[in-house]
Amino acid sequence: MAVPLISTAVIGHEFGPYDVTIPAERAIAYAKAVGGDESPDYGDSLAPIMVVAAALTELIEDLGLFSGGLQTVHAGQEVSWARPVKIGEKVDAIGRLAANSVRRGNHFATVSVSYKDSTGSEIGTSSTTIIVSGEES
Amino acid sequence: MTTNNSHRKVGDALTGFERQITQDRVDAYAEASGDHNPIHLNEEYASTTQFGTRIAHGMLSLALVTEMLASEFPNSWHDGGKLKVRFSAPVFPGEIVTTYGDITAINEEDGQLIVTCTIGCKKPDGTDAVAGRATVPLE
Repeated sequence: MAVPLISTAVIGHEFGPYDVTIPAERAIAYAKAVGGDESPDYGDSLAPIMVVAAALTELIEDLGLFSGGLQTVHAGQEVSWARPVKIGEKVDAIGRLAANSVRRGNHFATVSVSYKDSTGSEIGTSSTTIIVSGEES
Repeated sequence: MTTNNSHRKVGDALTGFERQITQDRVDAYAEASGDHNPIHLNEEYASTTQFGTRIAHGMLSLALVTEMLASEFPNSWHDGGKLKVRFSAPVFPGEIVTTYGDITAINEEDGQLIVTCTIGCKKPDGTDAVAGRATVPLE
C-alpha cells in the first residue's frame, strides 16, 4: 500500500489549487440532500458550505485518506465567507497544511484553505481538522 | 423568513428545524460534495468500520446548521458570516436531527453590529452531532 501523504507532508505543504466551481446539477443535489420546507431561497447563489465541502473532498483524496485501512474522523471545521457565490462561478481553492502531529498513533492534521474568485480576490477561508487512525507505522 | 434583525437581543433562540437524515439524503450529499467515501454509501464496507454501519457526512449535519443561519440572517450570513464547530458524534441514516442556536452576544466591531451565537445539531438522544459558535453581521 502506498504511504499516504499525511504521513510525510510537512507543515506549510500546499494543496491544489483545486477548481471548486459548483455546477447547477451539484447545487440541485445539495438541495435534495439538505432541503426542506423552511430552507432559504438561494436564488442563483450557492450555500458557501458547498464550496468548502468540494475542496475538502479534494484534500482528503490528496492526503491519501481514501487508502484502504485508514479511518478518518472529521473533528472540526471553521468557515468564514465574504460574499455570496453564484452557481457556476469559477472558484479556486488552495490548501496549506497548518498542523500535523502524531499522538498515541493517531495523526492530527489541520488544513487551512483560501478560496479565490476569477479576479484573485479571496472570498472565503476554511480550516479543517481531521484525525486519522489505522495507519501502518 | 426573517429579514429585519434590528430586534435581535442576547438570549434569543434561532429557529431550528428537524430533518430526517435518510440514506437518499446521504447519497445526494455525496453527489453534491463529490465525497463518495464508502463509509457513507456502502453498507458492506461500513460494517467493517468502527461504526458498524453507514454514517452521514459530518458536513451534511453542518450544512443543516448553515441552512438555519441562512434563514435567520438571509442578507448577511453569506456576506461576513463565520463559524467554528466540532463534530462530536456520527449521525446514522434514519435518525432525525434538530438544529439549534442561541444568541449569546451582540457587539460592535468597526461600526458594525456582530451577533455571536452558539449553534449545533442534536441527535435524537439529545447529544450533539455538531456544536460550536457562529458570528454574523447584523444587516
